[in-house]
Amino acid sequence: MTDKDITIRLGAAAGDGIQSAGEILTRMLSMSGQYVCTYNGNQSLIRGGHVWFHIHAGNWRVTSLGNGIDYMLALNQIAFDEHIGKINQGGAIIFDPKTVKAGTIPAGVTPIRLPLTEIALKYDKRPLMKNTVGIGALAALLGIDRKEIGEVIQLQFGSKGKQIVEGNVNAALEGYGLAAKSFVPTKSLEFDYSKKRMFTHADFALAAGAVNAGCKFYAAYPMSPASPILHYMAINAEKMGISVLLAEDEIAAMCATIGAAYAGARAMCATSGGGFALMQEALGMAAMNETPIVVVDVMRAGPSTGLPTKTSQGDLNMMLGISQDDFPRVIIAPRNSEETFNTMGRAFNIAEKWQVPVIVLLDFGIGDGGYSTVDNLDFEEPIDRGKLLTEVGDEGTWFKRYELTDDNVSPRVLPGTPNGMFVAKTDEHDEYGHDLSDVEAGLQHAVEKRVEMMNKRMGKLTGIAVEMNLPEVAGPADADVTLVSWGSTSNPIREAMRQLWAEGVKVNSVEFCDLFPLRWKEVAKMLRKARHLIDVESNYTAQMAGLIARETGIMIEDRLLTYSGEPLEPAEVVEKVKNVLKKEIGVSVRNKAL
Amino acid sequence: MLETKLYESDIRPDWCPGCGDFGALSAVKNALASLEIEPHNVLISSGIGCASNFPGFIRTYGHHGLHGRPLPVAVGAKLANPSLTVLAIAGDGDEYGIGFNHVVHTARRNHDVKLLVLNNEVYGLTTGQLSPTSVFGQRTKTTPYGSSIYPLNPLSTLLGVGATFVARGFSGQVKQLSELIQAAIKHRGFSIVDILSPCVTWNDIYDNVRSRMYSLDTVSHDRTNLHAALDRSKETEKIPLGIFFQNEDSPSFDELLHKTVNNRFPVNEVKHMTEEEKKVAISIFS
Ligand SMILES: Cc1ncc(C[n+]2csc(CCOP(=O)(O)OP(=O)(O)O)c2C)c(N)n1
Ligand code: SF4
Ligand SMILES: [Mg+2]
Repeated sequence: MTDKDITIRLGAAAGDGIQSAGEILTRMLSMSGQYVCTYNGNQSLIRGGHVWFHIHAGNWRVTSLGNGIDYMLALNQIAFDEHIGKINQGGAIIFDPKTVKAGTIPAGVTPIRLPLTEIALKYDKRPLMKNTVGIGALAALLGIDRKEIGEVIQLQFGSKGKQIVEGNVNAALEGYGLAAKSFVPTKSLEFDYSKKRMFTHADFALAAGAVNAGCKFYAAYPMSPASPILHYMAINAEKMGISVLLAEDEIAAMCATIGAAYAGARAMCATSGGGFALMQEALGMAAMNETPIVVVDVMRAGPSTGLPTKTSQGDLNMMLGISQDDFPRVIIAPRNSEETFNTMGRAFNIAEKWQVPVIVLLDFGIGDGGYSTVDNLDFEEPIDRGKLLTEVGDEGTWFKRYELTDDNVSPRVLPGTPNGMFVAKTDEHDEYGHDLSDVEAGLQHAVEKRVEMMNKRMGKLTGIAVEMNLPEVAGPADADVTLVSWGSTSNPIREAMRQLWAEGVKVNSVEFCDLFPLRWKEVAKMLRKARHLIDVESNYTAQMAGLIARETGIMIEDRLLTYSGEPLEPAEVVEKVKNVLKKEIGVSVRNKAL
Repeated sequence: MLETKLYESDIRPDWCPGCGDFGALSAVKNALASLEIEPHNVLISSGIGCASNFPGFIRTYGHHGLHGRPLPVAVGAKLANPSLTVLAIAGDGDEYGIGFNHVVHTARRNHDVKLLVLNNEVYGLTTGQLSPTSVFGQRTKTTPYGSSIYPLNPLSTLLGVGATFVARGFSGQVKQLSELIQAAIKHRGFSIVDILSPCVTWNDIYDNVRSRMYSLDTVSHDRTNLHAALDRSKETEKIPLGIFFQNEDSPSFDELLHKTVNNRFPVNEVKHMTEEEKKVAISIFS
């Protein structure tokens, strides 16, 4: 089997149905045995503007967006003008000459002029189905079996009735027939119709993984790109017994999550950076009263409102420092949707075992903004609720909820348990949860207790670090260049490394999924082995490099950074590595639209 | 009736001698004992302030959280474990100031949690600044020449947003207050009891309240009539005490949720998906 892959882009105005067209095509490819990775060029509007959908598919595990565009469907003028320059040699662009004026078309790119609107109007009063015609045409260029078209359209539109399904299928087949006649494919895929692959984005994967981990309480206030988590929970609430609270704001969402966790549920809330900023006081509360919660930030480009539908890894510093004074927190940044699903059991276990808030960091690129294939979902991660008591002896007025122990974790009891009464307190407190801040404050015993309590809480980090995963090393052990990344930036790196290996370049990568706390001495040892380190991330200040420097003293000076809102492309990583090999060392910043 | 000593804590309240909050504490203990709700089945969620120091002075489960946020914590806890009796207790600054958004929406959604506001018309713990319920002309550190702001009327506002149980009590009348709290606990859904609870240090309103108060039980007040309730809540000369409004026709949020998702007691329910649920969970992945 030889490696084969292809890139496809669909562009139109918002409201033209480009999202669902992209999904149909992604589904068609997945049902034909392809691995997929997609990106949604959204704008923060409901109608008009310009949106596009990019698909990379192949018979190998694609992780990123591939290189350039092989086949393009342009439904309006901006789509044509914006993307025509990125089409690869041997590629093709489909458009309707009635709606798009083609300027000069680069040599080596085939224009395919189809009456998309005219065909669409045969099947509906409105020309909406022109994207379906386009999908049919693309399917022909790809060489997908025409039988697949009917099946996938049935899946997508089945709920809308027979007439709609039939109209769409016929529109697509007409597009298929015309395109097949007018173009001889330059690139082909290897299909295996017996292999039906699943795909999803990390938001849905996170929601499903959380529910499988026993999460029965979810609270949120809508915010892109975290909203799909809320939608997933709401859609499945009834079937899976999930209590979903659409809270009045993110403060309430976080506080209700803490209330539910305190009462015994596995509870979670999610938002994006702005909402997380509102949650900050309550995050400290969870750590202070040792209530286990999982909280999610699906990052988008900031600062402030920033670019609501664009991607970034700019919130790491916020997660490291948010809320007053020092307290234990755990930060995990899964790299793709599959890893996100498989992380959630662990996230809840760490939260409950160590009675701390666990932060899961995703970003638009792998969250709401991009699908990827999920092959290996682990439903079996054992559930570990830690020191959770179901019975308490009658030992006095109050229960020692914050008992000092060797591992710094105290036995936990849930309201409703006889003899277990205690106060979960945000004031500094003694082992029963009683105030050290009021009438005791400053007295010798209270001062000593305060120090013990700080040590107890912060001491958990040492124990947690032992359980956290070290970064994964991908590629050969012996390499001239080592790329350092966290979360989603590992994806373009993986594709870039394939190209570099093919050209004989010795490159590997160190990819962080678990970010904090870690066994930093071991991390330092891994990094010191590298001959030359390049830090790759999507923010202005190289926040991960900053964390690494803080914890290990290793300063990675060579960097590839983007804060454009657009995801990194493999080609840019390739270029950076080659420049470094040519001794062009320093910080590189990218600013190209995808 | 259970013995009130079941709720006795070994922590002495740190309130100033004579503070109205002592009366509220006695009334809450008496109400729980009268309704025979055992201490371990009660959760008191509070905020920050003198009033919010409440948990710990009474032996129940407690959550002494953040300024303004006792209600969302209470809402989450009640959803997770519907068999708990969940009270939120805090001051007027906490509930009518920084956390008022939560009061409005918790009332509107009719969550089955009971809000007791110990209203001393001042920010007590932070040394007596103007609160949302401070009266026009009141002199405080922040209004040295007298306040030029009209106070919030919490009762008429909450009647306006659709609260299903609205009452006012006085911490100087422990027995009557206990009865109001019992009615609030028994109510189907959200209830608010605004409790006039004088701050002897920064705003001693005992005499003022005593001279103007009267019980709604002594007049023919129809508590099922929203307009009558609004009229009473708007009185300024006199201070009506008692239940202004109660409507048990609409189900609570928790009841509705229980019907649709059958939210179950959490402890036994933390487990992996069933095979059936797995299929549903990933149906969206293809
Ligand atoms: C976010 C936040 N802002 C401000 C404070 C400071 N603060 C503590 S108590 C309080 C006001 C308390 O007034 P009230 O809620 O009426 O309670 P009282 O002390 O009068 O019983 C304030 C402003 C705080 N703890 N947290
Ligand atoms: S300052 Fe006022 S409210 Fe606070 S304890 Fe003293 S009397 Fe009570
Ligand atoms: Mg007050």
